[in-house]
Amino acid sequence: MIQVIASPSNALADEPVSIRATGLPPSQTVTIKATLKDEKENVFQSKAFYKANEAGEVDLERASALGGDYVGVHPMGLFWSLKPRKVFQRLLKRDVMNSPFVITLDLYDSVCLQDSVTIKPKASQIVQRWFAGPGVQRKQIREGRVRGALFLPPGEGPFPGIIDLFGIIGGLVEFRASLLASHGFAVLALAYFAYDDLPDKLLEIDLEYFEEAANFLLAHPKIQQPGIGVISTSKGAEIGLAMACYLKQVVATVCINGSSAILDFPLRYRDLVVTAIPRAQERIQVHASGAVRFRSFIDDPWNKLNPHSILPVEKAQGWILFIVGENDESLDSKACAQRAMDQLHSHGRSSGRMLAYPGAGHLIEPPYAPCCFASWNSGLPNPVLWGGDPMAHAAAQEHSWREIQKFFRQHLPQSRSKL
Amino acid sequence: MAKVTATPVSTLVDEPVHIRVTGLKPFQVVCLQASLRDEKGNLFASKAYYRASEVGEVDLEQDPSLGGDYMGVHPMGLFWSLKPEKLLSRLAKKDVTIPYEVHIELREPHFPIKGVVVSPPMDSLTLERWYVAPDVTRIQVKEGRLRGALFLPPGEGPFPGVVDLFGSTGGLVEFRASLLASHGFAAFALAYWAYDDLPSHLEKIDLEYFEEGVKFLLRHPKVLGPGVGVVSVCKGAEVGLSMAINLKQIKATVLINGPNFVTSDPHVYHDQVDQPVPCNIEFVTTNALGLAEFYRAFEETANKDSKYCFPIEKAQGHFLFVVGEDDKNLNSKVHAHQATAQLIQSGKKNWTLLSYPGAGHLIEPPYAPLCSASRIPYVIPSISWGGDVILHAAAQEHSWKEIQKFLKKHLLPDMSSQL
Repeated sequence: MIQVIASPSNALADEPVSIRATGLPPSQTVTIKATLKDEKENVFQSKAFYKANEAGEVDLERASALGGDYVGVHPMGLFWSLKPRKVFQRLLKRDVMNSPFVITLDLYDSVCLQDSVTIKPKASQIVQRWFAGPGVQRKQIREGRVRGALFLPPGEGPFPGIIDLFGIIGGLVEFRASLLASHGFAVLALAYFAYDDLPDKLLEIDLEYFEEAANFLLAHPKIQQPGIGVISTSKGAEIGLAMACYLKQVVATVCINGSSAILDFPLRYRDLVVTAIPRAQERIQVHASGAVRFRSFIDDPWNKLNPHSILPVEKAQGWILFIVGENDESLDSKACAQRAMDQLHSHGRSSGRMLAYPGAGHLIEPPYAPCCFASWNSGLPNPVLWGGDPMAHAAAQEHSWREIQKFFRQHLPQSRSKL
Repeated sequence: MAKVTATPVSTLVDEPVHIRVTGLKPFQVVCLQASLRDEKGNLFASKAYYRASEVGEVDLEQDPSLGGDYMGVHPMGLFWSLKPEKLLSRLAKKDVTIPYEVHIELREPHFPIKGVVVSPPMDSLTLERWYVAPDVTRIQVKEGRLRGALFLPPGEGPFPGVVDLFGSTGGLVEFRASLLASHGFAAFALAYWAYDDLPSHLEKIDLEYFEEGVKFLLRHPKVLGPGVGVVSVCKGAEVGLSMAINLKQIKATVLINGPNFVTSDPHVYHDQVDQPVPCNIEFVTTNALGLAEFYRAFEETANKDSKYCFPIEKAQGHFLFVVGEDDKNLNSKVHAHQATAQLIQSGKKNWTLLSYPGAGHLIEPPYAPLCSASRIPYVIPSISWGGDVILHAAAQEHSWKEIQKFLKKHLLPDMSSQL
């Protein structure tokens, strides 16, 4: 009997799944297809072609895909190579507590390049991918100016606290915070514009808002004192780095593909105003797909005209982990992180570390998330080019996620109670 | 006052235009935009940013574009970097008797944001781009089984005759034949499926049909004998190669990114039947944007064993191979090298190979926009053709000149032999 077996079929989205096909004719070339429908009914699909062995089996942990969305031995390839049917859409889980992403794995005993209504799969298996583990609690936060969602692990705590910041996508993005909470951290997914009664547009970075959030987190009975961490991506990472520089409450900061100078909008903190480096319109580039490449859009922030926009990383009292994708097409992330590292060294600080991933793009997310090469971004008529070679990007996501958790366990005050 | 000029205002589509801007402030940065609507009303657009000289002028023949759809000194960049508003559309002229109208606008640099009003252009002009020179005659051909269009240069002639063949799109594609006629060739755009009462699906390549086409061309009073040439791309080049081997009237064959073996439908000539080479669809890969790359499909068969390949050494005429090294649809470089290796082995020197790094599958006359991916009928997913926009443009310019030189060399009588 032809079967496709995935185990575990019900797991956290950042956990691997073992997929096997059995009962096939020996040496048959087969197709395994994965299909997912997101919360807006957008369809994402991937497929790979494998040759069954003499026993009529395909074990994705050992077998090499011959073609399709990836080539070679990639046990989780069907997950990270998922592509939207409508190009330039990004896969992003919004409701993290009440429903998983549901992926249908279909096994065909022939090579199926095109979708067909008439050819039916010989076997199917449903896999559920959750963004919050058992016992994780979500609390909507509306305290003072602070807007977001706090995710708490099961148990008494106290737990190491982290603020999670995303970028120009705006609104409230929760899926990474809920996953981190599933690994024992108390995480506040913090919105800063285009959410609730926050400003619609980002016009300046008001660091006092982020300080309020940090103080709120530290005041919470289930959060371990005396310092918190920050995990931040893109524009969020620019803010995260500013928090590391100016707020003593922040003791460990992860900056993923962010600028180390203030761009576009000024940063304000009490009396201090850090001016932004303006964009050079003429340096924008358009990729063959029509997506806009922002990587060259800023002049070198370190040229003599912009010294005041560079963040004073030497003032940061805590630890900083820079994670960069070398194929980031929206920002020269590696150059930005390298400059910050050089700044730290030149001030005799050894509190910084950089993990640079060749082939990885801008949107480095938890493992097995599809590599989003380009997508629509709010307010812009053209899609934005993020970059990334899917296989290298997938490896970077797996490696960096482990490193991020290790970093926080090492540098955040740990709870005394066992998790 | 700021002004943009372009000369000549009305040209053949394969001729360059000199674009200049005057009346700017010294070192002012401006944006030049080009746009056209195709016959279905689809918009194609491009833009580039230039910095004026100290006398407030921009000359596209000397000045580099700083950003936009291309960078560097590219006088015709606005034309070959045109991109469709509707993704995956290809620009392909159907009615060659009517020109394209290309609008050029001079604007302040701006980044288009939804809802932000854009100020009117500083200046603008409209160019005409023709696919036929004045007084080229177009004759609809419906003789015997033949269906197509014959283009004759002005004058008495006689002119060297060329059969022009396109590929997997089917129908009647006239734009290259009309341009060849504008450069002195009697060019016969020959349809072979999905046109008029020809078969709607290609089931076989009947070489007697193409032989009829060659004989028809040679019978015409304005066509110079005793032989003709063939210009062919993709599947057309598969047919072109088969013609060159079997039909003695073929003196010069241009093969652009074609296979040197039978791909999907058998070739039939009298009693001889050449069956298609097996292909492995499981080797088809999907790139980061979800576009299908077919070039690995014959890796295990035609690429490995020349028993599958056409006996090109039997052909009596000359060959010009034009190869885009970044072709993602066919492994053109490998196929061309295999074919020329066969010729070398047989001691033949009747060929030239032009191999262009960075050029994709759809190598067309100069200044045609790069189409790196599009939909074709009956095939899902959409197909990647490959090509780097700047290198592809250079390949188109160079190869078009070489194609015309090659055809003239082998189709016009050798004057030196008449001393």
